[in-house]
Amino acid sequence: MKIKIKIRRCEPKCETGCEPFLQAYDLQVDDGMTILEALLELSANQDPTIGFRRSCRSAICGSCAVMVNGFPKLACNTQVIDAFQKKDELILEPLSNNRVLKDLVVDFSPFWEKLGKVTPFLTIAESKNNQQSSTHLTANGQSSASSSYASTPVAITVTKEDEEIIDSVQKCIMCGACNAACNALEIDQNYTAPAALAKAWRFVGDVREGSKKKRLERLSLDHGMWSCVRCFHCTEYCPKEVAPLQAIERLRSRAIKKGVLDNQGAKHTTALVESVKRVGRLDEAAMTFKTLGFLRSLGMIPFGLKMEMHGKMPHPIIFPAIEDIEEVRSIYKKREAEIESEEKDEKSGE
Amino acid sequence: MVVHDIIVIGGGLAGMRAAVEAARSGQNVAIVSKVHPVRSHSVAAQGGINAALKQDDPWEDHSFDTVKGSDYLGDQDAIEILTKEAPSDILELEKMGAVFSRDETGAIAQRPFGGAGYPRACYLADRTGHSLLHVLFEQTIKHGVFIYNEWFVLEIVKEGSVVSGIIALDMQTGKLHRLRAKAVIVATGGYGRVFGSTTNALSSTGDGMGLALSAGAPLMDMEFVQYHPTTLKRTGLLITEGSRGEGGYLINSKGERFMEKYAPSVLELASRDVVSRAEQTELNNGLGIDGCIHLDLRHLGREKIMERLPQIREISIKFAGVDPILAPIPVRPGAHYSMGGVMTDVDGATPVTGLFSAGESACVSVHGANRLGGNSLLETIVFGRRTGTAASKFSASTDLPNFDSTSLARSSEIVGELLNRKDGEKPSKILKDINDVMDSNCSVYREENSLKDGLQKITEIKKRVDRVSLTDKGDVFNTELTSVFELGHILTLAEIILLGAINRKESRGSHSRTDFKERDDKNWLKHTLIKKKNNELTIDYKDVTITNFEPKERSY
Repeated sequence: MKIKIKIRRCEPKCETGCEPFLQAYDLQVDDGMTILEALLELSANQDPTIGFRRSCRSAICGSCAVMVNGFPKLACNTQVIDAFQKKDELILEPLSNNRVLKDLVVDFSPFWEKLGKVTPFLTIAESKNNQQSSTHLTANGQSSASSSYASTPVAITVTKEDEEIIDSVQKCIMCGACNAACNALEIDQNYTAPAALAKAWRFVGDVREGSKKKRLERLSLDHGMWSCVRCFHCTEYCPKEVAPLQAIERLRSRAIKKGVLDNQGAKHTTALVESVKRVGRLDEAAMTFKTLGFLRSLGMIPFGLKMEMHGKMPHPIIFPAIEDIEEVRSIYKKREAEIESEEKDEKSGE
Repeated sequence: MVVHDIIVIGGGLAGMRAAVEAARSGQNVAIVSKVHPVRSHSVAAQGGINAALKQDDPWEDHSFDTVKGSDYLGDQDAIEILTKEAPSDILELEKMGAVFSRDETGAIAQRPFGGAGYPRACYLADRTGHSLLHVLFEQTIKHGVFIYNEWFVLEIVKEGSVVSGIIALDMQTGKLHRLRAKAVIVATGGYGRVFGSTTNALSSTGDGMGLALSAGAPLMDMEFVQYHPTTLKRTGLLITEGSRGEGGYLINSKGERFMEKYAPSVLELASRDVVSRAEQTELNNGLGIDGCIHLDLRHLGREKIMERLPQIREISIKFAGVDPILAPIPVRPGAHYSMGGVMTDVDGATPVTGLFSAGESACVSVHGANRLGGNSLLETIVFGRRTGTAASKFSASTDLPNFDSTSLARSSEIVGELLNRKDGEKPSKILKDINDVMDSNCSVYREENSLKDGLQKITEIKKRVDRVSLTDKGDVFNTELTSVFELGHILTLAEIILLGAINRKESRGSHSRTDFKERDDKNWLKHTLIKKKNNELTIDYKDVTITNFEPKERSY
């Protein structure tokens, strides 16, 4: 079939300071044609000036993510006809939340800088390394003497379960689709954002990692993992099932377990848990004080009063617990007992 | 002018492994790459990386399998190094952060691969290359390797006979830069894009081989092109050998497992050249299905496919509309890997002082006439590391050479002239013509007349390249401009592949001549060397190093 593809063109650096515009191309498309193939076809036979990144064609190099009818997708594994038929049009634009270099090519340097900030490499725990090396070598049937090679490093045991917990984040191809869809990044350019946070979990979740707590402390700073607004976009638009939001949630939960509590995010979460346990619902006023501290909360009082007047907040002083609060508390009791036994297991396993 | 100790051209596995090793030994190292390192084509390697890890699998067996796989053209001293050092390099990768799939005992799991007498390929599901590439990228950050990301190298500059740096185009600004260094490592991977039907990325255009050739280094065994037996219908995307390693069948239109005829003892797990030829013979005999062979995984069951081959399933569904759990995957042979490359010694050094090479762009030679699956990732790691060490030693022992100041003006003139040229042919049309010639005249089966006809056509196409003109005159991310330089390398390499193939009057490994069907050790147990002198290509030959394994007949 013959369709029109519209591409947002832009070369912001050109001397005339041109504005972005949509350019339409007529294209004969066949069954199975991907958007990348369509771009290559246009580039070869109609307009070689269209700027777009490409390399592997098989959804593994992460070069070609673009906005397809408003949503981030890999050009190489998105079918033209499918995308076109859904909206009866096909508009390709550069990834959102990014500065455009030319047409569909965006400046990826902020992406790499964010990645660099999460110390994206394994820092092995030395004691663990030594302690476990001998068991691995015998289990493997290979003694260290059999290697004729001087600088033989020691192996570290990673079990199937250890592998599974970081398996999804290891699938990341750094295409930037999640960051393009991220609502928190849109309002805070300094936010670490889902791609780098997924990478952070790659190490915090790695059994061999030696500085987990330090990592969690740094991730708990402003613009870190607590800035996520849990809109689910990153997980929804990830083309590789990395599920960055799940990684962010795991980071948060690990931070609280490890006692990294001196920050707004952790305080807010802790206050929420306490509030539900105490009264069975959110005590907004108490939570504000616990999250922001006394002085900063004072500034929130006018806002609180306004909310109160519109019936958007329970009265901060007359604040009864819900009727069946005991049921809620028994849920807490059960879960707390579970956590305790899980922790015991973890300790005995170490 | 920017100065580094060592410049690595290419940010794939070999390039980053070399860079990390050099940076560890205290050198100031930079990677210059036309795509960001994690976009490099190593990322697409699926199935595995070989190492003799188990006690009942001595490295000597891995050596023998590799020598036999190479059809005795591999240099046995280099193969010994490759296989002996493999286990410790695997453990080193793990220490860097790599996660390999595990077996029941918790040891690194290993799967069978073609041409190997033992399940020797370590893997992470079916994205081994992706996993290792990201780990090495992490290591470049850890060790402070400087990365020139999306910089396109135009020339390796020499001072007299010694390498002194490079000229590169920053694709984001269109500006040309001089980068000085004491050593340059070429690690740009293969040239799959010489062919139309290839598993390779759009970026695999053999730039480094072309640059090294122009800098005076010989290219070795370029006629040996590996055709992978299982590339996906239409797009030519790779379907890992791991899918046969896990037990997949190859089926013709009669529903027969035809490998019984060609490799009765190991069937689908024969060496790649053997399987590709078998498929091509079936296709030529009219036993194909829509021009394809069927790769049947259905009997493996949903669970195994989902656990071990998830990406293969994704690729089959998204790019061919076939779910391998329910239906066979249509596949055919396609250009996949270049056994040949820049001639180096076992430490990555080329005959040009200060110029090194590693990985697919290099030819040590560990693959000879045919590479075994799982040995290419291994080569990038073992020889990447060794090249990094050797380049560091060289760099530490020498002074920074002068830099020819006219080289920048020369490159800038070439680029300027190209951008200003009016009325000419589009570069994209020329690439298509080269691809067509190579696909039809220099493929799985080769024959003198058709090879000569191919060379004739390539020579004619060459004249057209000097007359191309560009539509895109812009500075920023002008991929039409860089495509002209890629085209130049592709043309040179096509010519060299054809020259080597015409001259080699025997069938060995991937080079299969219908007019010379037998291997001829008496006359052809030697490497082809092609050099460029005053813009003319000259052919020479070099003996193969044989240590433990005397050549004998090769059957599977």
